[in-house]
This record gives sequence, C-alpha cells and structure tokens, in this order.
Amino acid sequence: MALIDLSHSSPGDEGATASAVAPSLRRKGQTLRDYAGLLPFLTFLLLFLLVPAYSVFDQALKNPDGSFGTDAFREAISGQNFQAFKFSITFSAGAAFVGVIAGTLLAHAASTVEKPRWIKNLVTSFSGVAANMGGLPLAFMFLSLLGRQGILTKILEYFGFDLYAGDFGLGEVSGLIIVYSYFNIPLMVLVTLPAIEGLRPAWREACVNLGGTGFTYWRRIGIPVLLPSLLGGFLLLFANSFSAYATAQQLTDNSKIVPLRIGFFLGGDVSIGEDAVGYGLAAWMIIVMAASMGAYWLLRRRSERWLG
Amino acid sequence: MTSMGGQRRLGRRLILLIGAIYFAFPFVAMARFAFQNVQVFDLGRSTLFENWSLTSVTSAFGEDYFWDALRLSIQLALGTALLTLFVLVPTAVWVHLRIPRARAVVEFLTVLPYVIPAIALVAGIVVIKPHARWFLNSDLSLIPFYAVLALPFTYRSIDAGLRAIDLRTLTEASRSLGAGWNVTLRRVLIPSLKSALISSTFLTVAVVLGEYTIADVLLKRTLPAFMAEYRQSDPRGGYALAVLSLLATTLLFAGIGVATRPRGGRNPRTDEPSPSTEETPS
Repeated sequence: MALIDLSHSSPGDEGATASAVAPSLRRKGQTLRDYAGLLPFLTFLLLFLLVPAYSVFDQALKNPDGSFGTDAFREAISGQNFQAFKFSITFSAGAAFVGVIAGTLLAHAASTVEKPRWIKNLVTSFSGVAANMGGLPLAFMFLSLLGRQGILTKILEYFGFDLYAGDFGLGEVSGLIIVYSYFNIPLMVLVTLPAIEGLRPAWREACVNLGGTGFTYWRRIGIPVLLPSLLGGFLLLFANSFSAYATAQQLTDNSKIVPLRIGFFLGGDVSIGEDAVGYGLAAWMIIVMAASMGAYWLLRRRSERWLG
Repeated sequence: MTSMGGQRRLGRRLILLIGAIYFAFPFVAMARFAFQNVQVFDLGRSTLFENWSLTSVTSAFGEDYFWDALRLSIQLALGTALLTLFVLVPTAVWVHLRIPRARAVVEFLTVLPYVIPAIALVAGIVVIKPHARWFLNSDLSLIPFYAVLALPFTYRSIDAGLRAIDLRTLTEASRSLGAGWNVTLRRVLIPSLKSALISSTFLTVAVVLGEYTIADVLLKRTLPAFMAEYRQSDPRGGYALAVLSLLATTLLFAGIGVATRPRGGRNPRTDEPSPSTEETPS
C-alpha cells in the first residue's frame, strides 16, 4: 500500500519549484501530503494495537447494562484483585532490584576485565539472546532445576537442605525473582553497559589526584552519573517482570499474579458481569505500564545528557 | 596497591563465574531432563552417562499435531515478516526522506507495544472478537498482532539501517539517473539495507516462535501452544522441544550478529550497536 504512495510523488518536489510560486501555500500542501505517507502505518497501528487497547478501557468502564460506570474499574483494584496487584508489584520490584544490582555488577565486570578480551563480547552477545528469553523454555529450565523434582532441589536435599521446607515456590516472590532474573540481568547489562563505558577514566584520575579513594569515586562520581540509567533500568525491568505471562503461567497457577488473573478472566469461566473485572485488571495493567515506561523515557533522556 | 588490584581482579572473575553458573545451570538441567531418561534420585557417578537419547524429540515428531503446529508457526512467521517489511520499510524510508521532524513521534509510536503488553492486547482482541469473527476465527489473523508485538525491534533495526546509509544521496542519484521510485526501492534501497532487513526478519521470526500469550488465550495451536500442551502428557518431550526452540532462537540471533557486523570499518556510522542487542519485553 505504502509503495503506491511513494510512487505517486512526482520527481522534483523538493526545493527548486517550491520557492517560485506561493511558497507557504505550496509547503502546506506538501506537508499534508508528506504526512499522508504515514497513513498505512497509522492505520495498521490503529486497527491492531490502539483499537484493542481502547476496547479494554471501554469494557472496563461499563455497567452490565452497557451504560458508563466505574464499578468494574474499581472492583479490579479492591479485595482479592488488590492483593494480586500488591503481590505482582512486590515481586516485580524485587526482581527489578536484583536485576539492576546484578546486571550492573556483571556489566562492570565485563567491561573492565582485561583478558581474555572475548569475555566482553560473549557477555554482550549472550545478553542480547537471554534478554529476549521469556516464555516457555525459561519456565521449563527452572522447573527442571528448582521444581519439586528439580535436580538442584534434589542435590540440596542430599546435603540435608530442604528447599521446599519454608514457603519457597517457583510461583512465590522468591521463586519468581530467581526465574525472572534470567532475562532481567541480561537486559540490565544491555541498558547499563553504554553508561558504564561512558564513565571517563579521566574522572577517576581526577578523583585520585584530589586524594579520593575508590569509594569516594563511586560515591561522588560513578553512582551519581550512572543514577539515571540505574533508575531507568529499574523501571524497565519492573515493567518487564510485571507484564510477563507465559513463564509465570507455566510455573504456577498462582492467581495473585496479575497477568495470570487477566488470563483467567479471559478464559470465560466467569459469569456475565464478572468479565468486566478482567478488562478492569487489563486496563490497570496498561496504566501501570504507561506510568513506568513514561518515567523510563524521561530518565533515559536525562542519562543521555550526561553520557551522549 | 598490587594486592588491591589483585583483589579487584578476583572480584570481577568471581562475578563472571557466578554469572556463568547461574546462566548455564538451568539450561543444562533442562537439557539433561529432556535427553536423559534417568530419574533425578538415581543420578550418580555410575549413571551419569547412561540412557542419553533423542527419543523424546523423535516421539514428539511422531505426533500429527506437532506438524500442524509447526506448519502454522512457519506460516505465521513468514506472514509476519512480510507484513512487517511491507508496512515498515516504506514508512521508515518516507520518514527519513520527507518528514525527519516526525521521526521522534514515529519512534514513540513503535514502542507503544511495550506499554500495551501481550496479555492486555489479547484482552482487547477478545473484546473485538464478536464483531470480527470473519477475520479472527482464522489462525492467520494472528499475523498483524504478531507484527505489532515485534514492532519495537523491527522498526529499530530498519531505522538503524537507514541511519547507516546516505539515503538522500542514494535516492537522488538513482532518481537523476532516470529510475522511478519502484526501481530505486528494488535496486538501490533494498540491496543497501540488506543487513537491516535480514535482522528485522530474523527478529520477527524469533518473536513469532516464542509468542505464547496471545495463542494461549485465543486457543490457537501454534508451536509454543503445542509445546505447553504436549508437556502435560510427555514432560520430557515438551522440554526437548523447548531445547530445540532455544537453539533455533540462538541461531537466529547469531545470524543477526553476522548480518549486522560492521564490515572492515568502511562506514564509521555502521558502528552503531546492532539492533539485536536491544531490550525487549518478554
């Protein structure tokens, strides 16, 4: 479709002829036509992303009789649903925190290791793959490692440590943090590596010359410069963990995980008025995602100012 | 001083080692479970190398459903890749040539799928479904939604490709030699964007092969959906398929790495980070 748009524009549109006749008028028509070139893309986005997203809010803000009402929308963040949001936000924040710390340490170690040189390339390439590793394989890996019959569970048992004695579970906060770190840490490596590489050796030298120690350097220079990208990374990892469905669904049927809860409502085994609560949950999820991604966007712009 | 430097080096090594263990062990555990038919509590020095086989995979291949699912996933991958190229390449070229001012806005639009994750998107699809059954009843109706999910990665890789070439000069040269837009696109732009187009296609395929959320809720029998279902009856077979799918994904990413590797420093601008090393939601 867009190909046709391209071929319609006649040669010589730019420059020369424009200045001759009524430039402003000419430019206005041209700008309009330029923006019309985006129509196929905008239509695609509208039909397959924005209309579905709008429908979620539309359904969430509806009474059973079809009139406007906020009952389902409020129901989606009270009682059990509130507990679900609390649980999801807790483990997502925990997973993001672990990911930020471990990812930054790993990125720093990889960027400063002198030899062998291939280590850094290996870490970046691997991170590119592992950061995209959600879904079923990830769940299967940890089920075979730390599930009730998992190999590490059994090894620990052999040494007299019962992993499942307490409230550990792959679907509980601790388990989800361990599993989600598998894609969060590499994602953090990718986010933070450019910032770490942007730390100039001269800053460190200046700090040492002025009598600062390694600790002073990190306390006064390193961490403050990295802070926007650390916070940004936290938000990105949080959003990433908060919205993951596939892995969690295979690990557990814990209905306190918001995406699983939405899936349950969408499954259709609920009475008529109740399905609106599912859409309410989805609407709130979009709100949470929009807030964290928006803040991430702002922080990234800030960190680019320092480390352009 | 030396001892402190040594300590620091040791610390780094330790971090890398712990990282290696954390990332390798789960995979090894899954592969062992998939390909070795020995119960965990029987594992010991004597049984460590016993009963390794590929029977779990071959028995999964024996299922008719597997081939149906594979065919559907391949169709979806190809369809999504083609749709992505047809919508995004002209759009990205157009934005770069005609409305560079709109670049930030378009970029913002392409990352919207981060804000509306798959589980929320599929909730919207469920709402629309009664009004568009003629479309959504078809398994191939997943194609445009998968194209949306892949959008943040695919657009970025095409955009990076366009930044790396001198688009304006190339098109002007081509046009002044008498080529129309069609010829310019086919004989000038596509060849010079080859690596970006390849990596965008591979990224799309990786996204489609890994997508489970939408397929699960809409009860479409794609490869990941089959994997989840098959695991219920034959866990080892399901895990074996997961190992294969991970290997396939890794190969795709390796392919992207090769395709986008800067060639001999000819053009310094291609040194931008390759799109494969960018973040994605899961």
